[in-house]
Amino acid sequence: MNELIASVFETPVINYRQLSPILIILGAAVISVLVEAFVPRANRRVVQLVLVFLALITAIIWAVTGAGQQAITGEGAIAVDGPGTFLQITILIVSVFVAMLMAENRLDPAGDAFTARANSLPGSEDEREYTNRGWTTTELWPLFLFSVGGMLLFVVANDLLILFVALEVMSLPLYLMAAIARRRRLLSQEAAMKYFLLGAFGSAFFLYGSAMAYGFAGSIRLGDIANAISALPGPNGLIIAAVALLSVGMFFKIAAVPFHMWAPDVYVGAPSPVTAFMASCVKIAGVGVLLRVMYVAFSGLAWDWRPLFWIVSIVTMLVATILALTQTDIKRMLAYSSISHAGFLLIAVIALNPQGIASTLIYLVVYATATVGAFGIVTLVRGPSGEATHLSQWAGLGKRSPLVAGGFAILLLSFAGIPLTAGFIGKFTVFGAGIAGGATPVVIVGAVASMIAAFFYVRVIVLMFFTDPAEDGPTVVTPSPFTGIAISVSVILTVIFGIFPQPLIELAEKASIFIR
Amino acid sequence: MGAEYIPVLLLGALAFAFAVFSVTLATLTGPKRYNRAKRDAYECGIDPTPQPMGGGHFSIKYYLTAMLFIIFDIEIVFLYPWAVSFGLMGVFALVEVILFIVTVFCVYLFVWRRGGLEWD
Amino acid sequence: MNPVEQSMIENEQTLTLFGHDPVWLSIIKVVGVFALLVILVLFTIWLERRVVSWMQQRIGPNRVGPQGLLQSLMDGFKLAFKEEIFPTAADKMVYILAPILSCVPAYMAWAVIPLGPEVSMFGVSTPLQVTDFPVALLYMFAIASMGIYGIVLAGWASGSTYPLLGGLRSSAQMISYEIAMGLSFVGVFLFAGTMSTSGIVNGQIDLWFGLMLIPSFVIYTIAMVGETNRAPFDLPEAESELVGGFHTEYSTMKFALFFLAEYINMLTVSAIATTLFLGGWRAPWPISLWDGANEGWFPIIWFLAKMFIFVFIFIWLRGTLPRYRYDQFMRFGWKVLIPASIAWILILAVIRTLDVEGTWSHTALIAIGCGVIFMLILFFVRSRVGKKERKKFVDEHPIERDYKPFAGGHPVPPLPGQHHVPVTRKSNVIEGTTEEVNEEVRGG
Repeated sequence: MNELIASVFETPVINYRQLSPILIILGAAVISVLVEAFVPRANRRVVQLVLVFLALITAIIWAVTGAGQQAITGEGAIAVDGPGTFLQITILIVSVFVAMLMAENRLDPAGDAFTARANSLPGSEDEREYTNRGWTTTELWPLFLFSVGGMLLFVVANDLLILFVALEVMSLPLYLMAAIARRRRLLSQEAAMKYFLLGAFGSAFFLYGSAMAYGFAGSIRLGDIANAISALPGPNGLIIAAVALLSVGMFFKIAAVPFHMWAPDVYVGAPSPVTAFMASCVKIAGVGVLLRVMYVAFSGLAWDWRPLFWIVSIVTMLVATILALTQTDIKRMLAYSSISHAGFLLIAVIALNPQGIASTLIYLVVYATATVGAFGIVTLVRGPSGEATHLSQWAGLGKRSPLVAGGFAILLLSFAGIPLTAGFIGKFTVFGAGIAGGATPVVIVGAVASMIAAFFYVRVIVLMFFTDPAEDGPTVVTPSPFTGIAISVSVILTVIFGIFPQPLIELAEKASIFIR
Repeated sequence: MGAEYIPVLLLGALAFAFAVFSVTLATLTGPKRYNRAKRDAYECGIDPTPQPMGGGHFSIKYYLTAMLFIIFDIEIVFLYPWAVSFGLMGVFALVEVILFIVTVFCVYLFVWRRGGLEWD
Repeated sequence: MNPVEQSMIENEQTLTLFGHDPVWLSIIKVVGVFALLVILVLFTIWLERRVVSWMQQRIGPNRVGPQGLLQSLMDGFKLAFKEEIFPTAADKMVYILAPILSCVPAYMAWAVIPLGPEVSMFGVSTPLQVTDFPVALLYMFAIASMGIYGIVLAGWASGSTYPLLGGLRSSAQMISYEIAMGLSFVGVFLFAGTMSTSGIVNGQIDLWFGLMLIPSFVIYTIAMVGETNRAPFDLPEAESELVGGFHTEYSTMKFALFFLAEYINMLTVSAIATTLFLGGWRAPWPISLWDGANEGWFPIIWFLAKMFIFVFIFIWLRGTLPRYRYDQFMRFGWKVLIPASIAWILILAVIRTLDVEGTWSHTALIAIGCGVIFMLILFFVRSRVGKKERKKFVDEHPIERDYKPFAGGHPVPPLPGQHHVPVTRKSNVIEGTTEEVNEEVRGG
């Protein structure tokens, strides 16, 4: 007992340089809270926007200039390595475009996509009055920054406790952000409630799994768990249960079947810019962490968890694709498409080789790029009561507004994985990694699923270009430069990655080593 | 190890036995004269409302207070081990705790400015 | 090895005294503490009634036993023979459980209060304290807040409006002041380097923490009154607003248990104050010159004496101060006590760093503490808290010059700046002019 107390306290080594992107974003989030508290309502939006973009861009610069300097820091709790930095930079860049979508305030005559006052009753006199005063929920921005900060920490976390904290910092703001749509507020609040309950459910799985892993290994460090597994003589129920529970927790986050139930409802109910954020950044962070946990901690148990992942991957691809076929709502269709992409990404996790890491990184980049653009375009097509999301309303869009419809078509083709778009590169590398990792049957199912998926993506394109527009159809509103830039960059990058994928592939391959 | 916690349980058991004994004692010793008015909710002599105020609903302020309490209680729980071993950790601990307290204080300022601490 | 590490090892060694008692000795100690508490509660109730009477120039209970000392015991017996009432709307299980839940934690908190040094009990040498462990104060903090469950459940289970309001108020109030209370402990832990109560008492051999950390002490003293729901913070039981608060619907021994718990809590917070800030069982200065003062069974006397100083202050407050308004009370807790505690902790952390480095003396710390308190007093004298709101309210609600005796349909008295104009009633106008009648009214 006495030796324990007398042991000298050692100051932990913290490499602030490697952590700087996280610290910048979280610091900006705290300042953003203060802005909410002290800046008058009229100026808040402008101040918040300046702060958010400044923070994101500074963080990108620090992350890019610091890339390549790997470090395990904070007493082993955080591992800033190749994949971690790569995903951080991806999340930050995608966040810039998501923030642009969120900043848009010219599409809706009443203002931006967020409610005037979240605590006024939907449809009440109160709500109308605050809308007339031109109020908006600027609390969105601190929430957004906290969520981004959580993601940045999530992808570099090297122990289960930090993973859990980061998971919560990432998720809790999202639950709130889903609830503050300006239009169809009840739907939005319902979505937030569902997301919260199921998200909390998923987190509980994750925490329970962490507890079991700790019980098994006596440590929460991923590396120590891996060592304990390699020292294991035979099968052990505790660690198998831990792997199962941890993966279920993460399947919830990335919305893999059968833990996907929340995704369609939440994607439809949440404000479209927030949906874009969830579909792109959360998926990047979730898959990134799944990859790290499985590769670093549990690779020694691959024989035990691989069958489970095979099944989940196959079921996810097939179920999501088939359900997507039956959808009549464009946001719902994109939601199922996003679920099916989780299935494709799991192929790379199963592969369990460096190729798998690189291909996941590539896939995530191209998928997130296209997703932001797609949801951006969804916000443009509007009827009298907000976004027109029913498929029938999109009929003949190509004749009325060829530019927007053309952009959307390119993004859909990328989702489908048609050659010369970025999506093809993503699928190609993932399938390659899968075959190299011995998961050929899954890859075959994946190929079949992408063929089925191509059908419903092409169906939308046919609908847009080869049908006559309805008389009272929706209009395509001209956005402010914010959304304009976000969508154009997304479409252009999708094409560029499709035609010249080499730099991206090289970068991802360079970044594809986990340290532990 | 752990033996020092046993007396706590003993004291708890004794207190529990005493409390249960008192509660049962009263049912045995007291008179029983049934009267409907006696068993109504007490509202200063007026006819009682069928349900407690608001049908059991109460002001959201209480929830807000409860949530703020949780935030600060967690702050306290973090501060205790820090305070106990502060002497061993030196300047590093000082800097870290200042950062921590200031961050929590920012949220406190937000709540204050937004009227979360007003009762009327 | 530096002095800090040295003191930590000493703390560890103090703790090794505990956990070795044979079971029979533990039982004796537990029963002893239990009996002590019951007697102290009966005595405190009597003391309160006598002291308040004295302050109000009454006599108070003086019939049963010498000086009425047995009055509270008889009251207890009386309660046991009263009729038991179960309100129809009550949730019976929870209704019965609530007083038990409020009473048991109140007793359990006393498990870690140090009453004295090591003594010889039936041939076994043992500390005069039921038990102690490294997280004793955290345990106390936790168990004390368990009592809130009893109160809030009592309010909820009664199925009646006033208890519900009282229970809610009470829980909101207790959790609000618990934060300030918890923060005031941090200063003590910083300097004691331990959370065990015996270790903290040992840390005050040279200088009481109450003198060293004056602001912590003051904050604790205020918070402890709020925490125990005593006047002037007795809003949960505000008779004029809520009848009896959470225990309105309770009778017989169930009521007695709440009463007991309230008084034990009062004793508990006083005991914590003694242990943390007034040197625990150690004899105060002039007595401590006598060598035997801190040995054997004597320290129990010093401990109880110090504790009853606080109890007397509780009674004094009740006899003196009117009740706070609820919004004022919450504002004081959240907007004054909490930021003040947090700021003080930051100051303390800096001072402690210098202290460990050895470039600081305790005298300077006391001086700073006095300065902080002086600033706080200044703050209150100028009474800036709420001034702005008050001015805003007055600006928004200007007093109307002409006085309407029935404004809003109710009879109202004239506000400052208004003058009472006698009302002319038709029945008064029997003869003569109105002015004459008015003269008459004024004269009569």
